[in-house]
Amino acid sequence: MGDERVGSLTGYRVLDLTDSKGAYCAKQLADLGADVIKIESPNGDPGRGIPPFLNDTPHPEKSLYFLHRNTNKRGITLNLGTEQGRTIFHTLIKKADVLVHNSPPDYMSGLGLSYEELKKINSEIIMASISEFGYKGPYKNWKGSNLVDFALSGTLITSGFPGKPPCVAPGSPAHDAASVHASISIIAALFMRGTTGEGQHIETSVHETSRMGLYPWVVPVYSYNTNPDGPPPMPETRMGASIYPVYPCKDGFIRVIALTPRQWDALVKVLGNPEILQLPEWRDFIYRIGNAADLYPLVVEYTRESTMTELFEAGSREGVPIAPVYKIDDFYNSPQTKARQSFVEVDHPIAGKGEYPAPPYRYSETSASIRCPAPCLGEHNEEIYSQELGYSKDELVALRAAGVL
Amino acid sequence: MLPLDGIKVLSFGTGGVGPDFGKVMGELGADVIKIESKDNLDFMRTIGPDINNIAGFNEANRNKRSFGVNLKTEKGRELVAQLVKMCDIMMENYRGGVMKTLGLDYENVREINPNIIYASSQGFGRGGPYSEYQAYGPMLSGASGMLSLWAQPDDPYPVGSNAPIPDHVASKYLVVAALAALDYKRRTGKGQFIDMAQTEVAVGMVGEYYLDYTMNKRVPKPMGNRSLYAAPHGCYQCQGDDEWCAITVFTDEEWKSFCECIGSPPWTTAPRFANFLSRLHNVDELDKLVEEWTSTRSAMGVMNTLQAAGIPAGVAQRAPETLTDPQLKEDGAVVELEHPVAGKRLYPNVAFRMSGASGFTSTPAPLLGQHTVEICHELLGMSAEEANRLADEGVLYISDT
Repeated sequence: MGDERVGSLTGYRVLDLTDSKGAYCAKQLADLGADVIKIESPNGDPGRGIPPFLNDTPHPEKSLYFLHRNTNKRGITLNLGTEQGRTIFHTLIKKADVLVHNSPPDYMSGLGLSYEELKKINSEIIMASISEFGYKGPYKNWKGSNLVDFALSGTLITSGFPGKPPCVAPGSPAHDAASVHASISIIAALFMRGTTGEGQHIETSVHETSRMGLYPWVVPVYSYNTNPDGPPPMPETRMGASIYPVYPCKDGFIRVIALTPRQWDALVKVLGNPEILQLPEWRDFIYRIGNAADLYPLVVEYTRESTMTELFEAGSREGVPIAPVYKIDDFYNSPQTKARQSFVEVDHPIAGKGEYPAPPYRYSETSASIRCPAPCLGEHNEEIYSQELGYSKDELVALRAAGVL
Repeated sequence: MLPLDGIKVLSFGTGGVGPDFGKVMGELGADVIKIESKDNLDFMRTIGPDINNIAGFNEANRNKRSFGVNLKTEKGRELVAQLVKMCDIMMENYRGGVMKTLGLDYENVREINPNIIYASSQGFGRGGPYSEYQAYGPMLSGASGMLSLWAQPDDPYPVGSNAPIPDHVASKYLVVAALAALDYKRRTGKGQFIDMAQTEVAVGMVGEYYLDYTMNKRVPKPMGNRSLYAAPHGCYQCQGDDEWCAITVFTDEEWKSFCECIGSPPWTTAPRFANFLSRLHNVDELDKLVEEWTSTRSAMGVMNTLQAAGIPAGVAQRAPETLTDPQLKEDGAVVELEHPVAGKRLYPNVAFRMSGASGFTSTPAPLLGQHTVEICHELLGMSAEEANRLADEGVLYISDT
């Protein structure tokens, strides 16, 4: 914290009705300076219940998942199920540039909060709707989850060891992929609005975007291998271990990306030019994949001699991409991380201090950093309802008692 | 009207992140020009026998034009400088230091075009000892800590996937960063430089595990397909060879429906599976019992049955299933394009809808140097003869077809 510059989206206000599925979208806009107001039901975003928790104590202000994905936002509570809640929401919409939500199909229109209704209140509003499986079509009422969406994206079948069950990537990559697509279309719509003066409605689904963000090659690779009258291509399966092999070394593991003969030669050099690896047939990538089981123990004998960092640095010197397989502490403590200040200290009123991942971009002119921690439930009710919308403290008490806030 | 009508992007990309950035900017309506050299090819053109017929390259390089030019010649650099002058956004993802060697780093470029937006992305980002290291997506899952958690608890080591994650997420983050800068420029007139580390994109995707380390002081371990707050939560074997369906049961209501779906065998009423905490406690046994049910059924059947009962389930799809997925059909999620060399092939289509924009299209990836003459004429005021002469001199490259 402490960057005094404005962000490239400073000046825009975003209403964030998302739960964990779209949280990263609104965070991206917030990281770039937008004033994001997270609107939660009085019970709180279910994302507050997602582990891991601080000290393994389940608590609505201690979900590390929630804390990470909601930094830089302000938070209010509002019950959209009440008429008064919706009236207040209309007031918020009047002063907002963007609304992002991931409600199920027909939920917003059922409340009279469809884009058609909202644009009557604010014609410049940009509404982004992130669904699980689309707002129309045969799967529209299907339920998703990160694992389910990762499976349908075509990525799961290629992940993990061959012969074992496919293995999902950590975090919630399918939801992040959907979120970043929503962010792209929201900022594009803001840019467009600069010319047209009009808002618009954006629709995207996790089902559709997770492929694009995780593994867009599935269909093209298949299509390029299919020719009229030709045999069908081999079914796709788990090849990570053979294409991008991981080898043990002195203090951990490395991953090697040797695709070209030149990269293979460089790898052999890094490993000290052992004769057994200098057989000419090993230079052929396809031969290596076909004989991966034989090659693996030969390589391991040499990778074991050195540390992750020694091999990483030697790979760069000789021209073969070698990566350390960092554990979480390894990355945190790496010299690149320190030099780039990839983590920012954030002090949360209940969860306390922590080092949070900084946004991945550094701008020369504007700021992209962490300005404030994730909001506590209803933390900014008074600030927004009283100071900005003019409700008195008594009115707030009454609204709370009526279950509106 | 498309969001980026009239915006010019110069793309100095190679591999995944840079080209995919240009693809999305092109989808949004920008005129994206890929600066390419015959002598120093985008490495994705080199992973097969024909530089113009590679699926991964032709996927990521759609929606752009190719300008073939030798940046090692002074005349070549001069022509590119003219293009730099007229573009709004320039993007590069070469190995750190390469653009400086070519005289095309931000400091030089801003002399020619002071308000340019210059988006630069390396694997490890700038300003540290690894800034100039070559990087590929599958390396960065390793170097970001993500891969260390991408495994079953009993795997000897993590192997991740065929998919080069975080490449195609990182490219979209870079689009977000550049679009925000573009809108800032619209409002203030100011361009700027953006540096994005692809490792940090991956770190953000697993941020809760970093907080687990910095706040709980422990190094998280991989959990495979299991969840800390749901059971069953896994990928279960189905009938057939290597066929799987992912099933996730979060709420008590979903658990009740799940039990009904599988015919309410007696074990489902056992106290050890009564609530999610007890199910988590007995998850090994639970997973075996669930798999007994799935393994005699087709993955599609499992998915359809469970989804009809309101339970999140999804087949571990491959391309053929994607192509017959009725929802993706409804979405128009796949597009067929005719490429001059590769012929008619299928690609993922634009993945979002904007009510205020129309005319989203996808154009096939260019052949190397396919648009050199066109760009010389249209933007550099040069005749075809002159362009051909420069091609003969080795300054430009023009495709034969």
